[in-house]
Amino acid sequence: MKVLVQKFGGTSVDTAEHRAMAARKVILAREAGFTPVVVVSAIGRAGAPYATDTLVRVLRDIDPQVPPAKRELDMMMACGEIISTVVFAHTLQTLGYKAIALSGGQAGIITDPNFGNARILEIRPHYLRRLLEQDYIPVVCGFQGITVPSDEHEHGAITTLGRGGSDTTASALGAALKAVAVEIYTDVDGVKTADPDLVPHAQTIPVCTYEEVAEIAHQGAKVVHPRAAEIAMDYNIPLWVKSTFSDAPGTRIAGADAPEAVRRRITGITHTGKIVYIRLDFTETEHKALVEREVYRMMAKAGVNIFLNTYSPNAMSFAVPREKFTIARDLLDGMVVPVEHDQPDSEGRYATYYIFKFSDGLDLAYSVQRPLLSAVEKRVRIVDVPGHITENCTTVSVIASDHRRVPGVLLRIYEILTNAGIAIYQTADSEMSVTLLVSESEVERAVRLLHEAFFEQ
Amino acid sequence: MSDTETPKVSFERERGVYALEVLSDVAHALIEFEEDALRTSRIQQVLHLLADAGIPVFLVKLHRNAVTLAFAGSDVQHAEVALDHPGLRTTIRRDLALLNVRAASMRELHGVMIEIVDALFEARAHLYETGDSHNTVQCLIDGSHVPEAVVALRRAFQLDESAVTYARMQTEGAA
Repeated sequence: MKVLVQKFGGTSVDTAEHRAMAARKVILAREAGFTPVVVVSAIGRAGAPYATDTLVRVLRDIDPQVPPAKRELDMMMACGEIISTVVFAHTLQTLGYKAIALSGGQAGIITDPNFGNARILEIRPHYLRRLLEQDYIPVVCGFQGITVPSDEHEHGAITTLGRGGSDTTASALGAALKAVAVEIYTDVDGVKTADPDLVPHAQTIPVCTYEEVAEIAHQGAKVVHPRAAEIAMDYNIPLWVKSTFSDAPGTRIAGADAPEAVRRRITGITHTGKIVYIRLDFTETEHKALVEREVYRMMAKAGVNIFLNTYSPNAMSFAVPREKFTIARDLLDGMVVPVEHDQPDSEGRYATYYIFKFSDGLDLAYSVQRPLLSAVEKRVRIVDVPGHITENCTTVSVIASDHRRVPGVLLRIYEILTNAGIAIYQTADSEMSVTLLVSESEVERAVRLLHEAFFEQ
Repeated sequence: MSDTETPKVSFERERGVYALEVLSDVAHALIEFEEDALRTSRIQQVLHLLADAGIPVFLVKLHRNAVTLAFAGSDVQHAEVALDHPGLRTTIRRDLALLNVRAASMRELHGVMIEIVDALFEARAHLYETGDSHNTVQCLIDGSHVPEAVVALRRAFQLDESAVTYARMQTEGAA
């Protein structure tokens, strides 16, 4: 049995015409001798009547002041995929095929009880296998599973998998069923060298590695979710990204040891994120490491994920997602970090208090706190730590495998942008990519310039 | 076939930190320059000097009057020569190690950085530079502090011995 998992996203199943095109892909696979297992997302994107966001709004509108319980929210969100699955299974049935709609739980997808962002723990594929042996085309709900049915507390509750959930379902089913391949169908014909909205002539990459596609996806390209790529990589399942609406071959994603996989190359240009960059200047660096720790601790406690961390002798800098910026700023403004001295200093002061201050207008807490500290100033040294904020930033990344072994890669990227007058606020790099923090207003130009330099010359 | 007869397969990786890689023989340079107004051209100049000398660089960080970067320890002598240039003041620290702390979807997690910083503090390992990507936090520390740092990080993230790998920094650089 040559199992082929085919996953169709929301835009592939949002109209009768699109569903017919998706069904054609399933039928062609079947006629080619494969045993298809279909995974579908909810119908349409935000605003569509059965899209996940629309269903969630029904709950939220009951009383906007009372957020829905996570468990019930997951049940509601799962309805989108259930509707889509039933509609698609019926579409196949009307075309004369034996199809059956399955919820995630019916397909044997068992998750932890982390509602809204559940992790697949195991798949019990026996029922799916039996259906395949009986010549059914199973149409499985993406994005969902159930907790362990025997769990006394949650007792088989419906869970959702969070971002990239349907891709993750497809890859996991592919692994469980030992599929010959997993095909992710979308509205573009493969993984592109750049966002086609910014670079209309971006090229389709014929083959890339799991690591490259995971990096591309993490850095902003919405082609296949990194969780799905990781499962495919761990189980060595060939993954394809294809278009529902064309017969273009798409992009094959394979292991780094595949003969077609090319090492040491620039794979693509991506962009992502609405980011605020924060720099804290230390005029006094004696206890800098201790104060930095407290900043990290405070951010962690408040649930603010920080990145693009940079140390320098007199400053620390980091980026926060824009939606977390207000929390970060409010935490830092006026925050006091007291550091006790081992022995009193030359002026008899036994401690230093570091207090964070942003520019005028953003320093409400500082302006209240600072005068209060005057009372202890004879015995405690007070040190201001000025904070600087760069708003409206975003990252542009060059996916470049093995660039750390090759001289001049960052130089070329840096020159392309700065020679065009684009300011680079900061850089970050990993084994697979070089990331640049730039102004949001420059993102289109930056992506186009880099694409032109690396792919069009 | 019943549940008990069907082999169960586990799928998704554990969330959170799952591996630690230690890359030894790394050097780190702080290259300072004077004039604020020429920052961009100074940074270009530094990157040019190193590229022309055939030295691959990473962990590049831009500061107001300086750029910091890392490279293979085997390239130190070539870097010293390349960066010996009017208008640049270079300090190179050698015998460092790069700790790569790996986690799936690192940027969706919060609190990893403080766990790392606390562990390194406990190990008395000074953190010279840090970098991050979607699946790593990279920390540059003295090579001599690696054993204590590894013990502290393993304890912090409950990693067993097999989760730690060691390698030496290698490039196709000048050396």
